[in-house]
Amino acid sequence: MNFKYFIKYLSYGFFAGAIALSPVTVFGQVKNPGLLVHAADDEPTTLDPAQVEPGEGGETIILQVYDRLLDIGPASAALIPSLAVEIPSLSNGGISEDGLTYTFKLRAGVTFHDGTSLTADDVKYSWDRAMEMNLPEGNAGALSDVIASTEIIDDLTFRVNLSEPSASFLNSTVVSMVASVVSQDAVEANGGVKVETPNRFMAGNMVGTGPYKFVVWNRNENLQLEVNESYWGDNAKLDVRIEIGGDPDVRVLGLRAGEFDTIETDPSFIADLEGADGVTIYTGGLLLEPLHIGFNLNIPKGSLPDGDTISEDFFHDPRIRQAFNHAFDYQAFLNGPLAGYGAFNPHYTPIGIFGHDADAPVYSEKNYAEAERLFREAGVWDEGFAVSVITEEGNLFALMCLVLKDSIERLNPNFRINVLAVAESVFDDAHAQNPLEYAMWAKNADPAADPNFYMQAYQHPDGEWGEVHGFANGYRDAAKVGELIDSAATELDPAKRSAIYRELQTILYDDPMWLIGAQEGVVMAHRDWLKGFAMQPLWPRPSLKFSFFDK
Amino acid sequence: MQLRDYIIRRLMVLPILILGVSIVVFTLTRVGGSPIGIYLSHEMTPEEVLKIEERFGLDKPVLVQYIQWLKGIVSGDFGWSGVASAPVAEVFPIKLAATLELATAAGLVALFLGITLGTFAGARRNRFPDHLTRIVAVSGASLPQFWFGILLLIIFWAQLGIAPIGRSDATIFASISHPTGLYTIDAILAGSIRALWDAIWHLILPALTLGYGATAIIARMMRSALVEELQQDYVDAARAKGLAEKLVIKRHARRNALVPTITVIGLTFGFLLQGTITIEIIYRWPGIGRWMADSVLRGDQATLMTYVLFTSVLFLLVNLIVDVIYANLDRRVTLGK
Repeated sequence: MNFKYFIKYLSYGFFAGAIALSPVTVFGQVKNPGLLVHAADDEPTTLDPAQVEPGEGGETIILQVYDRLLDIGPASAALIPSLAVEIPSLSNGGISEDGLTYTFKLRAGVTFHDGTSLTADDVKYSWDRAMEMNLPEGNAGALSDVIASTEIIDDLTFRVNLSEPSASFLNSTVVSMVASVVSQDAVEANGGVKVETPNRFMAGNMVGTGPYKFVVWNRNENLQLEVNESYWGDNAKLDVRIEIGGDPDVRVLGLRAGEFDTIETDPSFIADLEGADGVTIYTGGLLLEPLHIGFNLNIPKGSLPDGDTISEDFFHDPRIRQAFNHAFDYQAFLNGPLAGYGAFNPHYTPIGIFGHDADAPVYSEKNYAEAERLFREAGVWDEGFAVSVITEEGNLFALMCLVLKDSIERLNPNFRINVLAVAESVFDDAHAQNPLEYAMWAKNADPAADPNFYMQAYQHPDGEWGEVHGFANGYRDAAKVGELIDSAATELDPAKRSAIYRELQTILYDDPMWLIGAQEGVVMAHRDWLKGFAMQPLWPRPSLKFSFFDK
Repeated sequence: MQLRDYIIRRLMVLPILILGVSIVVFTLTRVGGSPIGIYLSHEMTPEEVLKIEERFGLDKPVLVQYIQWLKGIVSGDFGWSGVASAPVAEVFPIKLAATLELATAAGLVALFLGITLGTFAGARRNRFPDHLTRIVAVSGASLPQFWFGILLLIIFWAQLGIAPIGRSDATIFASISHPTGLYTIDAILAGSIRALWDAIWHLILPALTLGYGATAIIARMMRSALVEELQQDYVDAARAKGLAEKLVIKRHARRNALVPTITVIGLTFGFLLQGTITIEIIYRWPGIGRWMADSVLRGDQATLMTYVLFTSVLFLLVNLIVDVIYANLDRRVTLGK
């Protein structure tokens, strides 16, 4: 045989071998045994609990690798012990009579992934670290806004002194990702703590006590975790590989092919997955991130985009804000962009958290007659108006704006809504300005486990958005709204607290500062072979804890 | 002027050119707006935005920002990539290697298929195999890559399960060191057949998709050149000597037809590098194309400036090398005038 034929037959052999050795699928057979492959929507920006922003991709990983003192179980919103052996309460002495001191008894024998033992010193160090670093992109305020000081009582007892009683301390502060407990030794050996300066080691590495150990993060590609065999609780069953980003259609294909066990998707892909062999679509919950459009009552003179004809005090009139709420076609938004997965929540308490009143009035149906009456009363019906709404391009927010445009312009041809759909970075830049140079913007709320967060951030006249949007310029009784929100924040009696939120939900229906398009439904698809699947909207998105899964 | 003097003079001018390029790159990027957006989250307060601006030096005048950026480049700090959540200097070589590996593999596919198909068609001019090959070639040039890529993915990955996606099996990839960043080369250096097989196996579909488009160009060129060569007198002479048609084509005509084809092959590599963006997105290939696409969409200016500066400097260097080679090959070219 000459060389030419040798090469020819060698290449035939190569291709035949390639086919023979390739990972041929036997349909129905579990792929990647021992490994959970999760296809995520986006990349973490950091893995450091002190730096991560609420709702951001890094929280997903922090949830799996770090522990907190308390946790939320998969089955209900009730708290469960984690690194603390019991939930502090007035009855067990964990909460002082004045509601200002919380004492946590820690679990003995817990070790970090670097082999060091967990003590109260680590907990104090972790919390103090986040507050001292005070990174603008992080959530240190969740701790520093309520904590006056932290103390070590003994190796296994940690105490927190609050600046004022907080009804939401356990539910929103202790379980938040910024309150995760990190290895003091690991941090000190890698840069320590510097004020307002990120720790580069901690941003890309993790040393926690959780059911998973961090292995590697290949940027824009994947992130790998392995089972922590020395975990203090029940061991996880599967190692994890998180495939990052990429085309959403490819994620859907990968799930159908069995290459991915779980994928993050949105309602627009449901049609591609319905009826697929071996795929289960989970639609059992609601995200705690209502999709909203904000009304700006603090517009600087002459700053609105070209084409806007409204006056700067346009949204000061509650009738106009109500009219917008009545005119929006909620059902079109729910059945169109959300593919039917979602619900409508009152202002501003999402369904699924404490304080939500199922009987509270809700904007959920288009009511053109009422909208017309209110616009006429406000004196803008005949003259009409043009106003812009800014949002990110190519997502649900932009679609919500288009539904608003359609709803308002159909109501009256003299009304004009200009949808400014821009790149995410442009939107974030515009959105961070104070005062804001747009009359309206669309986004979703940050998620939280307690109503106080939503009320403070999105409704309080002196709160984060209340200040930027100038809510004090528009509430019929701004002082009363502020007082009610403040009193609910410190009311430790759940019944009384619930009653305050009930009253607030009615007041805010009549005096809305937002248009809430919908509370988006959870849409998650996974392979049938995945056992122990559980979702908890109170966990950071995608609301999954991988340690429960097996296959 | 002596060649050595010419090279020294060009090398001395190079830093000035690079400085000029850096000014253009910085200015053009800033015309598009502030780079702050990628570092912000939508719930930041104005005070928090100010802190972020301070951290990245964006609170200073633009001229100071430019000088800081330039200083950073000199010291190897190209800024922070908001898309990759890591320093640009750390990620850039890894991504670049992944893209070069894919483009090279696709180039090999295009070369092999293009020359084979072109020869096959040229030798059977205006017969059925020629028409068939033309269809294959034209379809390669006209099928949108994203469509063809998804089609292959559906068939070979999703339906048949015989092809993988991504660049590697994560476990096998982690089992060897990566001194060059080129997975195939690293596998060979590590002496790992398993890793080499994994690298090749992951390259097949994306390289085929990317290479197919370029195959058409090479095949068409090869066919035309071969048809032309087959009409030459020396071919008739070879046939008259009684040489078998196969030998006439392989030993004589094809060899000469390759000369113009090689020019096209050189140009094709640039086409392949551009084409990696779509392929990397579809096949989840962690290369520079996907990174750049994300960076453009999300306004990651640190990454974009590094990429543009890198390609500009590369262009300057290649230009210098080409000039030197020209001067060396063609003595009529006078240096330095």
